[in-house]
Amino acid sequence: MKINEPFVEKILTTFINEELSKFQYKKGILGLSGGLDSSVCASLAAKALKPGNVFALIMPYGKIFSDDVKEAQKLAQALGIKFKIIDITPMVDIYFSNHPTEDRILKGNKMARERMSILYDFSAREKGLILGTSNKTELLLGYGTIHGDMACAINPLGDLYKTQLKQLAKHLGIPEKIREKTPSAGLWAGQTDEKEIGLDYNKIDKILFHLVDKRMPKKEIIASGFKKTDVDKIISLIKNSEFKRKLPIIPKISVRTIGHDFLLPYDWGK
Amino acid sequence: MKVALAQISPHLGDLEKNFELHIKYIKKAKKKNVDLLIFPELSLTGYTLKDLVEEVALPLETNTFINQLKTASCDLSLVFGFVEEKERGLYYNSAAFLAEGKILHVHRKVFLPTFGMFEEGKFYAQGKNFHTFSTPFGNAGMMICRDFLSYGACYLLFAGDSEIIIVISAAPGRGITGKESYETSRMWESMGETISRFSNAFLIYCNRVGFEDGKHFAGGSFIYSPLGQLVAKASYLDKDFLIQEINLNDIREARKKWPYKRDDKPEVILEALKRIIKNYED
Repeated sequence: MKINEPFVEKILTTFINEELSKFQYKKGILGLSGGLDSSVCASLAAKALKPGNVFALIMPYGKIFSDDVKEAQKLAQALGIKFKIIDITPMVDIYFSNHPTEDRILKGNKMARERMSILYDFSAREKGLILGTSNKTELLLGYGTIHGDMACAINPLGDLYKTQLKQLAKHLGIPEKIREKTPSAGLWAGQTDEKEIGLDYNKIDKILFHLVDKRMPKKEIIASGFKKTDVDKIISLIKNSEFKRKLPIIPKISVRTIGHDFLLPYDWGK
Repeated sequence: MKVALAQISPHLGDLEKNFELHIKYIKKAKKKNVDLLIFPELSLTGYTLKDLVEEVALPLETNTFINQLKTASCDLSLVFGFVEEKERGLYYNSAAFLAEGKILHVHRKVFLPTFGMFEEGKFYAQGKNFHTFSTPFGNAGMMICRDFLSYGACYLLFAGDSEIIIVISAAPGRGITGKESYETSRMWESMGETISRFSNAFLIYCNRVGFEDGKHFAGGSFIYSPLGQLVAKASYLDKDFLIQEINLNDIREARKKWPYKRDDKPEVILEALKRIIKNYED
């Protein structure tokens, strides 16, 4: 799973650059949380597009993650990219005052979609394309909010596992404080990815790498030293989240149907 | 002779822009007195065409782009890739060799990769031959991308007396290791080294660069000598224009040193193949 960091940096900066220029955009926009993934994405974008063409939105919910906000702000300043802090408390609170719930996941998803809505608004205001920050681990596990943090125009990080992103982050000079932070979706205070999934990222990524990249049968993965319950859990997470990785399915009626046999390239004419 | 490889990034589905790109490189090559200029696979159309295949397909004899390229070939020989409508409604992933104002040969891709990320078998008809043809520089044979990964196909060009093997490619890079290139780049290079050495032929591989629908074409075009030595190599990932003088006498030198060609036994291989095929039909 080792990556050559300068080579991967070159691939991803070329990708960001090419995709934006194909669609005649100069600016990239992203949500910056103070976590590892969005920090890596911001740093890559700053290199690919020049810092002046990167716009980061820092969108906390009140004061619960004030350290993250500070780190996000510091990183944006260090990278020389533009940023804006928008507190999403009023929009989220007014909704839940009308539709109260104690369910933390419902609240967290609402916050993620509130941020998405602001990102798309600023995408139009600033004429910038939204850069996604979901990594391969969370995309495969479905550990993200559909139409929330998973929404973007292009996703430079989608083929790198969390542990590979950590390698890349070090190479890009992302501060240790961000790199060594316990990964969290930031849906509520004290939440951590690993606690919620029930496995640590090292183990998750190794199992995913064997399952997805190596296409190794389940039996062999278990025989190589992983617990059956862990492998089963990961397979079931992949299976149950396929809908998050696809466009909504359409029943086929005509002879040529979107999503079935209407097959056009994304980069048509670019 | 002077060979040039245009490691370009074509515009997907835009014939006009790509034609202009070809003309730009032809002008550049002419200035440098290039004898043979090679473009990558589907250089006139881009690779990930899907349902656009039929929209960009060209008839070989009557198309104005091809006619203009034919005219350009009065000054230097050209190899390029395009979608060919050979029979009505049948589309081929083709490569043309133009020289002295004429089409000397068209190769139609035989091995259409249809697995994983590749879906060529869904959109193209399959070519049926690997042909050696004569050019102003000697006997040549052409292959398109995946064709070259068949050593049986390579053998046919060797048996057919190809002295220059031209491979045009749109090969996406994949597989990240600790190295400074994609894993797949090494695969093409090892094939290049092996086939040039054991065919006593120049091996010219022209790949493309750029992204299409997230696929990253890996570049790294190269030329190997008939002794299996790397003669020239373009950059990985970036656009490049590789110009290289090659000495056709190297073919003679290689054949003297390693008489693979003299000692080849196509009849034995043919008969053995027939027996193999007969067995699996039983």
